[in-house]
Amino acid sequence: MSCKPGEPCEEGKKRRTAFGVLGLMALIFIALSFMSFLDSRGQVVPSGVEYAGFDAVEGKRIFQAYNCMGCHTIVGNGAYLGPDLTNIYETAGPAWLEAFLPSAGSWPTRTAVQVQLQKPAVAADVNVASIDAYLDKYPAAAERIIRRSGHATIMPNLPFRTGEVAKLIAFMKYTSQMDTEGWPPVPKVAGLTFPHATPMPAAAVAAVITAPAESSQAADLDDAITRGAVLVEDNGCTACHSAGTDKVVGPGWGGLFGHEALLGDGSTVTVDDTYLTEAIMDPDAQIAAGFEAGAMPPYADILEADEVAAIVAYIRSLGGEGQ
Amino acid sequence: MIRIEYQTQRLSLRFFMVMLVLFLIQTGFGLLLAAQHIDPTLLSGVFNFNVVRAEHTNLGILWILSGFIATILFVGPLLSKRELASPWLIKFLFYALLAVVLWNMGMQLLAQEGIAGWWLGQPWLQEGLEYLEAGRIADIVILVGFAILCYVVLRTFPPMREWNEIHWGLGIGVLALTTVWVFGLFFIERLDLSEYFRWYVVHYWVEGVWEVIHISLVGFLVVLMFGANVKSVGYAVFWGISLVWLSGLLGNAHHYFWIGTPEFWQFWGSLFSALEPLPLIFCFWHIYLDAHHDRKPIANKPAFAFLLGSVVLEQVGAGILGFTMTFALTNVWSHGTWITLSHAHLALFGTFGMLGLAAAYYAVPLMRGVQSFDQRLGTLSFWLVFTGMLGLAFAFAIGGTVQVFVYRTLGLDWFGGDVAPAMEVAKNMVPIFGLVFTMGVALLVFDLLTIGHRGSVENSDEALVGTMENAIITPTTGWRRLLTGWEAGLWLLSMWLFGAIITLGLLSFNLSDVQSGSPVFPYLMAAIGYPGLFLVTLLFVWRFLASLNARSVGVMTLRSDAGPLVEPAE
Repeated sequence: MSCKPGEPCEEGKKRRTAFGVLGLMALIFIALSFMSFLDSRGQVVPSGVEYAGFDAVEGKRIFQAYNCMGCHTIVGNGAYLGPDLTNIYETAGPAWLEAFLPSAGSWPTRTAVQVQLQKPAVAADVNVASIDAYLDKYPAAAERIIRRSGHATIMPNLPFRTGEVAKLIAFMKYTSQMDTEGWPPVPKVAGLTFPHATPMPAAAVAAVITAPAESSQAADLDDAITRGAVLVEDNGCTACHSAGTDKVVGPGWGGLFGHEALLGDGSTVTVDDTYLTEAIMDPDAQIAAGFEAGAMPPYADILEADEVAAIVAYIRSLGGEGQ
Repeated sequence: MIRIEYQTQRLSLRFFMVMLVLFLIQTGFGLLLAAQHIDPTLLSGVFNFNVVRAEHTNLGILWILSGFIATILFVGPLLSKRELASPWLIKFLFYALLAVVLWNMGMQLLAQEGIAGWWLGQPWLQEGLEYLEAGRIADIVILVGFAILCYVVLRTFPPMREWNEIHWGLGIGVLALTTVWVFGLFFIERLDLSEYFRWYVVHYWVEGVWEVIHISLVGFLVVLMFGANVKSVGYAVFWGISLVWLSGLLGNAHHYFWIGTPEFWQFWGSLFSALEPLPLIFCFWHIYLDAHHDRKPIANKPAFAFLLGSVVLEQVGAGILGFTMTFALTNVWSHGTWITLSHAHLALFGTFGMLGLAAAYYAVPLMRGVQSFDQRLGTLSFWLVFTGMLGLAFAFAIGGTVQVFVYRTLGLDWFGGDVAPAMEVAKNMVPIFGLVFTMGVALLVFDLLTIGHRGSVENSDEALVGTMENAIITPTTGWRRLLTGWEAGLWLLSMWLFGAIITLGLLSFNLSDVQSGSPVFPYLMAAIGYPGLFLVTLLFVWRFLASLNARSVGVMTLRSDAGPLVEPAE
């Protein structure tokens, strides 16, 4: 494959041959490509996958808009800072994703996941009766709750607008249904029993994963404020609300009590015990200006009346004009 | 020395300067990414990792393209024996490039707010697809830029019947560069189809078009630097390009293993992309041959060092590391891990980045009218970026091996809690080698920006000896003795031997022993394979340059006889 000066090298002829072979390769490639996307292959398409009334195509637009691939991988492509998202819907389930995404800076607690089960879209997709059944069905959600709940994540909170979380979940529902030829490979061992799992969760795994959250065990705390402070941690409230004045996802509680809150409809209301109780039990009843309905799930069926009272007492203790 | 014969060649200078500045900024973003990998809260919410990464990858592409444009503009008149067509268009291209770089850097920040600028179904501001993060507005400006480049190149070239193989390579190269870009201009609903077409741009650029441009430019730089015969080099260029496309066109199949496309791609991808190193071996061999076709000293050491680095890292990063993970049975493990990073950094910077730097070291002093310059800075910066990048590839490869085991084999997917601590050593190695690399980059950017403006050569020993016309070829022994073809072949063989060990290590993740939780075999193979490969690479380049430098005892001015530059092909 070399040609000395002066020798006849017949470049033109060889070039034509090369173009011919190249054309043959292109034909093979095009034929294979054509076969790859035939309907008869039965590969799932995003326009046919829905979650909460959104199809996965809308989800793909949101996925791209936030450049999720810039930290995560999807079907293995992207960056390597966070986990692959292809099968996250299948393993952790929609309730966990609903709990996690709006306040991605912290890992959702059991209650935070439980409260999402009330959402019609989640209920329709998961078809379970209780949080225990959910955690049985979605072991990755159970593992995340046991090992991480309440801790900070390495992901920043993202400013999702109404519906964007549901759209993203629709997209991940689609990708988890894709046939990716067996990728990623399924581990053959229980990784959690290896020392690479830090902190060693062996004890946690051995414990019954359906054990009730600690909230009910806090009953012996007679001081309502202390109890409220424990409850807001256990129930994952602090994933979205800070004890200071800064907005994380929802408003900060510091100085909130007694404050005149401007509502989305232009009216104002004083933040008192009644308002706070309603805001916990049925958050969408009155939405403060700058926040969106549906961002916070209703806790009416999750918390007992005395627990809500304790949380209100805790928020009251964080200061404000009406003390 | 070669004088600048064609004034429009000087238009390339501004593109070289932009290339250098963008390279420096890209390196800065790379360091920031390394720091964020260690502390993910760093600048979180202000400058999120995904934004920094998008800046890093996009600037990488843009400065490499600037280097290509600059080099093509510099050699275009020499190849065509006439001035470049439409200089005003080239000036417009320059400002369009600046505008699109600034615009795109700003737009990437919108990913933090989830704003893509959807209109008519297209993301106009940024689109959040790996490597193709630029939004449609920037995409279209880039398309126009490519069209201008095609126009200028094809209008400058002589009539097609007078084309030699380098004309063919560059002509096809710029046309394909533009064509392939079109496939990235559409929002595609299906993930499998959108990934399918994304690789049209990414794979066919890198393993098709860029390699073709690379081979052509390396060929012509060899002609310029060594006075090699353009016809015989052109013949090698022809074979190189043919092999690239024969293997690379179907080789794209290695991206279609796990994205939702059918299983048969695993056969085609494993088979054809295993052939992709062939043109790289060919290119490697030719730089050896052409550097040894006479025994004249190397006039411009940094330029040749970067050119050699480009061909060698193409061999190691693209050829060998690419080969190790191109089989379905190894790729199933390496896919989506740091192992890919090792390959990507070495291949992309090594092959294409170093070519642009080699061309800059060749062309910038000529355009500044520098008779001779202090080459020590350039040589030092070469060694810093070369070892820095090999070290980075090593850190990524080791981190990737651990990641495969912890993440894929054990199934631990808590990146903050399980995966990151396991990879901690590798994560900490990245900024260390990154700093070495950055020092080299800063040095070479300073050197190239100021060559010709820093005053004449300092009284260095090398520069003083300088004015003799003919080299005194001193017989040398040991490390500096003549590099024979046999020896070069042995070096190449030992690189591939370590490549085989790495491949076996990746294959071993399929063993039931490993899958039941014992990482001994893959860790051992990686611990032998990667350091072995990178050390052999380092030593080989050292040996190659030492043997060439031994020729130059006594002569340090730039070549005075360029020889016949271009002969029309038969």
